[in-house]
Amino acid sequence: MYSLPDLVPALPELWLAVAGMALLMVGVFSGNRSTHLLIWLSVVAIGSALILVLYVSPQSSNSITFSDMFIADRFAGFSKCLVLIGSALALVLSIGYLKTERIERFEYPVLLVLATLGMLMMVSANDLIALYLGLELQSLALYVLAAFRRESLRSTEAGLKYFVLGALSSGMLLYGCSLIYGFTGSTNFTAIASSIVASPTVGVGLIIGLVFVISGLAFKVSAVPFHMWTPDVYEGAPTPITAFFAIAPKIAALALFLRILVGPFLELAGDWQQVIIVISVASMLLGSLAAIWQTNIKRLMAYSSIGHMGYALIGLSAGTVEGVRGVLVYLVIYLAMNVGAFSVVLCMRRDGESVENIEDLSGLSQTNPMLALAMGVFMFSLAGVPPLAGFFAKFYVFMAAINSGLYVVAIIGVLASVIGAFYYVRIVKIMYFDEPRETFEKPIRRELSVTMAVAGVFSLFFFLYPGPIINQAQYAALSLFP
Amino acid sequence: MVDGSSIGFWAGYAWPVILIVLKVLAIVVPLLLLVAYMTLAERKIMAAMQMRLGPNVVGPLGIWQAFADGLKMICKETIIPTGSNKVVFLAAPLITFVLATLGWAVVPFDAGLVLADINVGVLFLFAISSLGVYGIIMAGWASNSRYPFLGALRSAAQMVSYEVSMGFVIITVLLAVGSLNLSDIVESQRNIWFFIPLFPMFIIFFISTLAETNRHPFDLPEAESELVAGYQVEYSAMTFGLFFVGEYANMFLMSAFTTVLFLGGWLPPFDIEPFTWIPGYIWFFLKVAFLLFVFVWIRATLPRYRYDQLMRLGWKVFLPFSLLWVVITAGALIIFDWLPGA
Amino acid sequence: MIVQTIVFYIFAGVTIGAAVMVVAARNPVHSVLFLILAFFNSAGLFVLMGAEFVAMILIIVYVGAVAVLFLFVVMMLDINFVELRQGFLQYLPIGGVIGLILMIELIMLLGAETVAIPKTLLATVPIPPIEDRTNTAAIGDVLYTKYIYAFQAAGMVLFTAMVGAIVLTLRERSGVRKQRISNQVSRRRAESVELKKVEPRDGL
Repeated sequence: MYSLPDLVPALPELWLAVAGMALLMVGVFSGNRSTHLLIWLSVVAIGSALILVLYVSPQSSNSITFSDMFIADRFAGFSKCLVLIGSALALVLSIGYLKTERIERFEYPVLLVLATLGMLMMVSANDLIALYLGLELQSLALYVLAAFRRESLRSTEAGLKYFVLGALSSGMLLYGCSLIYGFTGSTNFTAIASSIVASPTVGVGLIIGLVFVISGLAFKVSAVPFHMWTPDVYEGAPTPITAFFAIAPKIAALALFLRILVGPFLELAGDWQQVIIVISVASMLLGSLAAIWQTNIKRLMAYSSIGHMGYALIGLSAGTVEGVRGVLVYLVIYLAMNVGAFSVVLCMRRDGESVENIEDLSGLSQTNPMLALAMGVFMFSLAGVPPLAGFFAKFYVFMAAINSGLYVVAIIGVLASVIGAFYYVRIVKIMYFDEPRETFEKPIRRELSVTMAVAGVFSLFFFLYPGPIINQAQYAALSLFP
Repeated sequence: MVDGSSIGFWAGYAWPVILIVLKVLAIVVPLLLLVAYMTLAERKIMAAMQMRLGPNVVGPLGIWQAFADGLKMICKETIIPTGSNKVVFLAAPLITFVLATLGWAVVPFDAGLVLADINVGVLFLFAISSLGVYGIIMAGWASNSRYPFLGALRSAAQMVSYEVSMGFVIITVLLAVGSLNLSDIVESQRNIWFFIPLFPMFIIFFISTLAETNRHPFDLPEAESELVAGYQVEYSAMTFGLFFVGEYANMFLMSAFTTVLFLGGWLPPFDIEPFTWIPGYIWFFLKVAFLLFVFVWIRATLPRYRYDQLMRLGWKVFLPFSLLWVVITAGALIIFDWLPGA
Repeated sequence: MIVQTIVFYIFAGVTIGAAVMVVAARNPVHSVLFLILAFFNSAGLFVLMGAEFVAMILIIVYVGAVAVLFLFVVMMLDINFVELRQGFLQYLPIGGVIGLILMIELIMLLGAETVAIPKTLLATVPIPPIEDRTNTAAIGDVLYTKYIYAFQAAGMVLFTAMVGAIVLTLRERSGVRKQRISNQVSRRRAESVELKKVEPRDGL
């Protein structure tokens, strides 16, 4: 007789799944009127999931369940916290937007909760099947969210583009998974690892499979050369969804990257390191250079996120505990900076319509000094100017790279940051030294100003007390290595 | 043929093949005869219900009417419309006919009296019945004409809608049996026929078979008053005849399916003396005949459903209801520890 | 055994031929019909392998439901595929190169030294002999126990897909009169029929 699997490690996922379905029922029976309520309920659901993650994580340092398909170690706990915070903030950011754009449909928060569920499943995957299912759950919800403004041509185009290319990348990932399965005899990460250790030589097929998996995942984190969809989708999708895209899926996919490369394939580090280095260098350079010519702030943020993924991948290419810790710290700071920057973008409204051009920010320091100050902080932080948080994010990954001997990568990274600083600082220049334009709509919605303030304070004063986050990241990174 | 193995060509390959062909003929020929007389029976029953006489000219009481009709079909000219897609146009009635006869391969007429006693008989029958839609869709499309096309679209939507709840009904039966073999399903009804404990599912299944065979009150694909004759408009002579035979053979098949799932197949109603004298296949035939009578009865009684009502019945009534019953049945089986072969 | 071999080659040959025709057929409806033929033959291949459950499910799900909807859509849309293929030659070089690379990879895989996979890892769930357990039961043994997580996760994926499809396509049209059964049923004679005594030559 079969006994019930241990459900405790998966409590956050189970809770979110049940909550998502329950919220959908509430929405179906009360209609679009309840959207506002549902958003707050979803925030509560995600918050409770966060509490569950914190409850599950410490008591089980390395608990595997569901016949080894699911793992809830400290690394998963740390990444899940980030994902959940990112999703909750994206939900909060969307309240005002949905109302003003008149797309208050009750499926919105439900889809967001389901996407979050998919990300949690990705982070906790300990099997290729679990990995793929989590990834697909997340992606399907995101495709729909990108096309959520279905009356808008750009939004529909974004959704379609994302869907077609996403399906292609899923195909590559699956092809890779099948090769890995064929050459190791298992889909389970632990078994794959032991099979690689046991076999004297490494098959070409295994490497090809791994490269395909990396390509599929690189698409999800929008690293070069799989970045083409990013600017268009960021531009077309509704702005809070763009914020969501920039934060939560990136964190989850990067965590998955770490999980799969450092977990079962640590033995092959020499092989995947080259691939990651190429991807990372190309992303950094493209992110910095292509952003210079952008006029749309959402497109600019897209290139910025491509660049940042490049920096984060440096930590992975180091392949050490320090590198993984660097990536995790990077993700924390990246989350804060992006939430802040996107809440400023959401404030850019004139005459009841959103404006998205960088030129629209001209002279913001005179029309709305606080907003300009906040944006300035985020831009400097994204550029990596000390002593703001963004500097430390880069500092840890570059240090990890140098300590494992990747000097060239670190130097290219520093150069790319210098180039990248140009366009971030250009925005500050436009805000402070250009002729003022018409003022943005006032007052700013309260939830936007709160997120902005919190993110701003975090970016400004991270350097005063970085200890707890770095310690937690250290524990998380350690749990990933055998 | 290379004769490499130790068994000879005749004993190893030829005889089994000839035997199988003979068995197939032994099923198909009576089936076609029955189909012919089903048409006559239908006309007679409907006539009786409407206080008419029905066919009574050809032979005594009109018993040769069926053959007269068949002969007429064969002798007429087959017209293929110029604008049609010829291959598909001709393939469509063939597919309908072949599928309607194919399903009989797994139907158990009596204990052990079955052509292919496969493990997944239920799924095979379900698959065959769900393929029936292709004949109609292909006919409607290949005719290159408005009414047939409308009929084909209606039929595609209708059959897919009803298949889902049929699937759930089959699942409840399978839960109670613990096997997908049709003979096992019949055997497990020795104590009680399933239509008693699963009465609501029996009703849903029977109504779904009406929809699946495009019979009244769900004969929207061919609705004379709206679509002339739906997908059959452009067909004449034997191509039409094949559709006709296929439709009736399908009714037989679905009745047999219902009999196996719910009415205890070849089992007598009571396992005591006078009933057990009658051989199993007679019981089987009687049950099928009863269901066919209900088919005709419904046709003579009920008006046609409107299309939106038909869709709503399938998706909004049958689907949730049958899903609920799957859960209830499974729950009951577990609570009372009735699960078969656990 | 020789019969199995012959049947295998028939099924395999028809599958490949039909698959080629799916791509090559000019008429999209013919493409779908060839696709169905390919499904059928792959179901036949499954039967030959003794996987009758998978074979039947393939037919029920893919041929009985998915392909019907395919056909439905293709017939309704009336797409002009010849026009769509206009740019085909333009992309042939790059497509060809990618295909060639994949081909070379596959050949390399075939030629690659086989990895010694530890026996314990091979087939984490051994397939029971077909005499002991029908393969329907064998699938049932692991699907809801060992693979419950994947099963439920797949359920969530489908659930999301359903919600997504409704979000993107369901439109509330105004001015459409819908049948309300409860209103119809709850109508009483008193409120719907009025009997009037009409005097001759008076009118109402």
